[in-house]
Amino acid sequence: MSGLAEIRSFVRLRGRRRRTWSDRYVTLLSLGLLVVLAAPLVGRAVSALPRDVDPARAGAGLALIALLLAGSLALARVAGPVGVSAADAAWLVLSPLPRRGVLARTLLVLVAVCVVGGTALGLALLSALGGPDALALRLLASVVLGMSWTLGGMAAAVLAQASQSWDGRLVAVLASLVVVAVAVAVMGAGPGQGVLSGIASSPLSAWMAAASVSAVVAAGLAGRAWAAVARIPARAILDASTRAGLVADAFVVMDPGSLTWIAEDAHWRSRVLRSRAWPSRLRGAAAVAWLDWRRLARRPGLLALVAATTVLPALVARAGGGGAGALIVLAAGALTVAAMGTAGARRDAGDAALARLLGAGPRALLAARAVLPVLLGGSWSTLALAGLDIVAPGGPFWLLGGLCAPALAAGALRMARRRPIEHAMPVMDTPFGSVPLGPVLWALAGADVAALGCLPALVAFAGGVTGPLLAAQAVWGAAVLAAYCAVPRRA
Amino acid sequence: MTEPIIIARDVGVELGGVPVLRGVDLTVVPGEVVAVLGANGVGKTTLLRCLAGLQQASGSVDVLGRPPLDEPDFWREVALAGDEPTWYPGLTVREHLELMRAVHGSGRLEVRAALELFELAGCADRAPSSLSTGQRQRLSLAMALLRPSRLLLLDEPERGLDTAFRERLAGLLAEYAADGGTVVMVTHDPRFAEDARHLALEPAA
Repeated sequence: MSGLAEIRSFVRLRGRRRRTWSDRYVTLLSLGLLVVLAAPLVGRAVSALPRDVDPARAGAGLALIALLLAGSLALARVAGPVGVSAADAAWLVLSPLPRRGVLARTLLVLVAVCVVGGTALGLALLSALGGPDALALRLLASVVLGMSWTLGGMAAAVLAQASQSWDGRLVAVLASLVVVAVAVAVMGAGPGQGVLSGIASSPLSAWMAAASVSAVVAAGLAGRAWAAVARIPARAILDASTRAGLVADAFVVMDPGSLTWIAEDAHWRSRVLRSRAWPSRLRGAAAVAWLDWRRLARRPGLLALVAATTVLPALVARAGGGGAGALIVLAAGALTVAAMGTAGARRDAGDAALARLLGAGPRALLAARAVLPVLLGGSWSTLALAGLDIVAPGGPFWLLGGLCAPALAAGALRMARRRPIEHAMPVMDTPFGSVPLGPVLWALAGADVAALGCLPALVAFAGGVTGPLLAAQAVWGAAVLAAYCAVPRRA
Repeated sequence: MTEPIIIARDVGVELGGVPVLRGVDLTVVPGEVVAVLGANGVGKTTLLRCLAGLQQASGSVDVLGRPPLDEPDFWREVALAGDEPTWYPGLTVREHLELMRAVHGSGRLEVRAALELFELAGCADRAPSSLSTGQRQRLSLAMALLRPSRLLLLDEPERGLDTAFRERLAGLLAEYAADGGTVVMVTHDPRFAEDARHLALEPAA
C-alpha cells in the first residue's frame, strides 16, 4: 500500500462514521434516479434536433456555444481548477506524499464535469447546426467534439494553474473564443450565411475528421496536464483550495449570497487604488450611495462585458430558444445587471456596523441607492430589447426597457437586502416531492418584486406593445419602487 | 450637577435560559471614560450591546435621556466600534474616512489628520481587506473618532494594536472625553484602561 493510500485508509477508519452498504445503496439509487429523470430530457432534445440548416440559427447557436465555453474556461481559471478540501490542503498538500495521488480525486471530479458538460455542449452544437443525414453518427461526432473541447479546455486550465506561460495561452484562447462568438454572430446575421451553411451541411466524414482531430488534441493536452499535476506548485493548490473552501462553506450554510462577497473581496484585496475625494455636493444618504458608483467606475472591464451581454437575448431568440427563452435570459440578465449596483446595500444588510457609524436614514438611503440600479437595469434592458426588436416581431419592445427600470431596481435592492436562508421554515409537500420553503423564498426574494413591478410589460410581451400598457408600466414600476423604498426601518 | 448620559439599573440578560448578565448598575456622566473589565463570558460585550440598543434586557437602560434604539437618530449621537466591520467593496482606506466625513460633515478630525494620527497614511490607497489586523482596527477606530458623536462605545479597542499605539489611543480617548464626549469600553488590558473608571463584572451564572 502506498503512503497516500495508508493515510486515506487511516482517515476513513477514524472518521465519525463509516460508509455502510445502506449509504452505497442510496448513492446508487440516486444515480439511477438521475439517469431515469435525465434520459427522457436527452431523448426529447435528440428528437428535436433540426434536420434542415438555418444559417441565422447556426450563427447565433455557435456564438452562444463559444460564449459558454469562454465563460466556463474563465470560471475554471478563477476557481483553480485543481483544489482540495481544507483538511487535505492543510495536511496532505504540504507533505512529501506524491502530489498526483493527493489530487487524484479532484481530477476525477473534473473529468466527470467535462464528460457531462461536453455531452450537453455536443447536443447544443448539433442543435445549432442541424443534422441533414446520419443523425446518430453526427450526434456521436458532435458529442465527441463537445467532450474534446471541455476536456481540452479543462486540461489547459490545469496547465495554466501550474505555469504562468500556459496562463497567458489560456487568456489568448478566451479572447479568441469571444472573437469567434462575435464573428459567427455577425456572419449569421447576413454577410457570412453561406459559410455557415457550408459548415452545417458539411459531409459526415468532415464531422468525423474534426471530432478525431479534436479528440487527439484534447488527449494531448490532458496528457500534458497529467504530467504537470505531479509538479504543480503547492501555492497554486492552496490558493484554489481556499477559494473552493469558501465556496463550499457558502453552500454548507446554504447562503449562496456570500459567494458574491468572496468574489468581491478577492478582486479588491490584490489591488492598489488611487483615492479620490468624495464629491463635495453629496451629503447624507446621497454620499453613502455614491460608493456604489465609485466601485463600478473602477471596473470598466466588467462594464464592457455587461454591455456586450446585451446581445444574449437576441442570440437566444435566433438560436431557437424562442420568445420564452429570450424572455428568461432578458429577465435574468436585467436583474443581474441591476444588482451590480447594489453592493453597498448588500454589505449593510449582511453587517450593519458601518451603516450604524454612518447613521443615514434607511428610507432616504434606499432611495439614493436605487438610482444606480435604475440606470444600469434600464440601460441594459433597453439595449437588449432593441436587439430583440431586430430579430423578433411584435415590438417595439425597447420602449419598455427604461420603464421597467424602477421595478428592476426594487427587485435588485430586495435581492441585495435579503437575509440568509431561513431553514426553520416548513417543508411543503408538492406533487414533485417535498420542497423546503426557506430556500424557495430566498431564491424568489427580489425576482418577486421585479416581476410584480413589470406586470404591464409582461402583458405587452404576450399581446403586443400598446400606448396604455406603456403608460401603465411607467406608473406601476415607479409606484412599486416608491413603495419598496418607503417601507424599511433598516439600511 | 451634570446630567448623566447613561443610566442603567438592574440590567439583566438571559440567552437560551442561561443568565449572561445580572443586576448591573451603571451611571456615566459626560466627560467620563469607563472601562468594563472582567473574565471571558461575564457579559461585557452583552452590556455594551444593551447600551447600544442591540440587545433586549431586563431592568432599565437610558442613553442620552431615552431607551437606546437601533435607529439613525441614535447613531448620529453614538458611535460604536466592535467587531471588525465588513468594509465597503472598491473603496480605499482614505475613501472610507472620506465617506464618513461626507455623511457627517465636519467632524472631530480632518481625513488627512486622521490618517496621520492612526498611522494609516502609508496604506491610504489600499483596500481595507488587504491590511493587517492591527491596521484594520486602527481604521475602524479612526472612522469612529473622525465623526462627531457624544458617546463612544468600544468593544476591545486594543485588539490587534501594538503597545505604542495602545498608549496613543488611550490619549486620544482622554482627549475625546476632555472635549465633552463619553467613552464606555470593554477591555482586557488594565494598563490601557488605567486612567478610566473601572466597572468590574462578575459571572452571572
